[in-house]
Amino acid sequence: MNGPSIKEPILELRNIVFGYRLRKGENIRIFDDLSLDVKYAEFIGIAGPSGCGKSTLIRIMAGLIKPEKGEVLFRGKPLKKPTPRIGIMFQSPALFPWYTVLENVMLALIHEKDLSENDKIERARVFLDMVGLTAFESAYPAELSGGMKARVALARALVSQPDLLLMDEPFSNLDPLTAISLRREVESLWLNQSMPPSSVVMVSHDIEELVELCDRIIVLTKRPAKIAGVVEVDLDRPRQRRSPEFYKYVDEIYTLLS
Amino acid sequence: MAILEELLTILAAVGMSWARMTVALIVSIIFSLCVGIPAAVNRVVEKIVIPALDILQSIPILSFFPIALYVFIIIHPVIGPELAAIFLIFTSQAWNIAFGVYKSVRLIPPELLEASNALDLGLWRRLSSLYIPAAFPGIASNLPPSWANGLYFLVACEIITIGEAEWSLFGIGTLSTSYIMAGRVIEFIASLVVVVAAVILTNLLVFIPVMRLSERYKFEERAAEIPRVWIERVSGWLSRMARRISFSLSPRITLFELRIPSGAPRILLITALAVVVTLLGHSISGRVSAGVTLAWAQDIVEAFQRLGVVDPLVMIGFSLARVSAAVAFALLWTLPVAILIYEKGMLEKILIPLFQIIASFPATLILPLIAKAVVDLGLPLELGALLMILLGTQWYLLFFLLDGLRGIPYEEEEVCKALAMTRLQKLRHLYLPRMLPSLIMGLIVCFGGGWNTLVIAERAILGEFTWDLGSPGIGRMLSIAVDEGDLALLIAATIWMAGFIVLLNRLLWRRLYEKAVKMVGVA
Repeated sequence: MNGPSIKEPILELRNIVFGYRLRKGENIRIFDDLSLDVKYAEFIGIAGPSGCGKSTLIRIMAGLIKPEKGEVLFRGKPLKKPTPRIGIMFQSPALFPWYTVLENVMLALIHEKDLSENDKIERARVFLDMVGLTAFESAYPAELSGGMKARVALARALVSQPDLLLMDEPFSNLDPLTAISLRREVESLWLNQSMPPSSVVMVSHDIEELVELCDRIIVLTKRPAKIAGVVEVDLDRPRQRRSPEFYKYVDEIYTLLS
Repeated sequence: MAILEELLTILAAVGMSWARMTVALIVSIIFSLCVGIPAAVNRVVEKIVIPALDILQSIPILSFFPIALYVFIIIHPVIGPELAAIFLIFTSQAWNIAFGVYKSVRLIPPELLEASNALDLGLWRRLSSLYIPAAFPGIASNLPPSWANGLYFLVACEIITIGEAEWSLFGIGTLSTSYIMAGRVIEFIASLVVVVAAVILTNLLVFIPVMRLSERYKFEERAAEIPRVWIERVSGWLSRMARRISFSLSPRITLFELRIPSGAPRILLITALAVVVTLLGHSISGRVSAGVTLAWAQDIVEAFQRLGVVDPLVMIGFSLARVSAAVAFALLWTLPVAILIYEKGMLEKILIPLFQIIASFPATLILPLIAKAVVDLGLPLELGALLMILLGTQWYLLFFLLDGLRGIPYEEEEVCKALAMTRLQKLRHLYLPRMLPSLIMGLIVCFGGGWNTLVIAERAILGEFTWDLGSPGIGRMLSIAVDEGDLALLIAATIWMAGFIVLLNRLLWRRLYEKAVKMVGVA
């Protein structure tokens, strides 16, 4: 295991109930009494059949969606609304086209009243540097490649120095080579204890990606989603995708999914 | 029995007006096919037609009406006014349909064109089995806005006075004006109700079915959703209409695909057009000799000299101030209301259909009412003018702003939420930038509508009663020229006004729009 071993939860979902109401009055239950923990310094993966509510789960963790019943506790306190202490990276980069790369990242510091404008610029630059985009700080999103946009989105998610980073299929829209290098970056950031975040939750339909990055993979069933199983991955990092041990985990997850 | 008779009169008047608009609409469709298809198919034609259409839709139609009337009366003194009215309605309906045809035909997939080449289809087969069906959706979706536009101008063109001569065509515009002037409020309200009902019925029974039918002629895979419940239907076409208006009036096509005329050539083109129209009128009348034509040209030159340079500029300045004030006021209320409606889904369901029904209502019908009310109550006349311009413009702005807000991608909303932005921060970082292009577009359309209304708002002859602001205004000048039967002066004033509007569009609005699109990074 990596990181500090304070094995207490940073985020707790307690008995979450959530559903969508269709127009016809029919209720679709997405979660019926779902509970799970994310611990400090943990990299968690969430897998599940498509449509099982993985993205909804990430949004509940971020405080973007309120569950109908149940509780979300962040560092022991109920999470009422989104907080800068939780960073989120969406499936699409969702950058504001009218702001430069630097301005897009600075936007996440909007609540940092103590920071002067210059401090904010400095801080945003540090994180742009981290994702390797220093040279592009005054470019506009339209001028960037898909991979670069994803990097800006990552910098924006991290610039508020969150304890928890949530990622909703962050690499699914990228070409394979870009995805590989970005995965490496996320992993090394998480491993670097002086840098945020402490914990990461990643939703993905790419099982190998999950096994490559995660300490623990929570496999969900189809709607209403329950936990089909939890797979603890005990491999040294960086993990080699071609090893038989790696595939043992992949197969285990596929078995849980089917 | 008297009530029934009155109601029958109203119905007959609406019927007459509707008949006029139907004829004009059919002519518009034929015109659009004749112009839109060649423009979409042939590059050379495209380079002439598209900028010409763009100019035609940016000049205030009302000011050209007396000139057209004059020409048509020369053609035939009895049916001339009727033809002139239909022509005016045509000029308010045709341009967006023509753009629609052009766009639809441009969208024909290249494979289909190749296939028709391979089949060696003749011209007629090509038209009937490819171009016209392809143009159908472009026509269908433009029917409601064209109808609304036509209705707006219909009211203004049923009663015409040029100098001593007065024509009044039987129709709802004439009838409702006479009601108001006679102080018959109940009949006036009844006529308004009948018009609204007729608009809704026309859309439900004709335009929506036609639009539904046209869905299958589209090349896109995903058919647009046409709602089912009737009130939803109404709101559906109205929002569609607002969208179409936004599209058809938007200079996007010319902005991005062509850039031919700059300000000066445009004015030349308009001048040439005006001259050609008058000359044409003369030659048709068969009474033309070179001498008469020359005399005409001299008349116009002389009219320009009479106007001078300072006076028209002062008039335009006053008029611009009026329109700007009205637009500013419109912006003041539409901006918060648009945001409120966008944020509260429930409000949208109630307010939007309501607003859209009010907006579909031809504001020109109420102008006499405002004029009379302002004078009777002794309110400042400028207030009346402001109100009239406002009625002719504010809805465009609201629908444009809403359109801009609705275009906000969900992810951007979500980012704002994830960053826990306050409402003010969200307004600054998301709403305003996203709204900017459609805000500017809305302002362009708003100003366009404002200039048009000006021709009535600054001075209007309403039966026995004359509404006159008294202070300078280019719309007032036009009205006076018409009143005095001074066509040369009218042409001169029209060229001043149209030239200024075109210049303003070219030098200010388009640049602003292009800048906004570039700055915001979204079209």
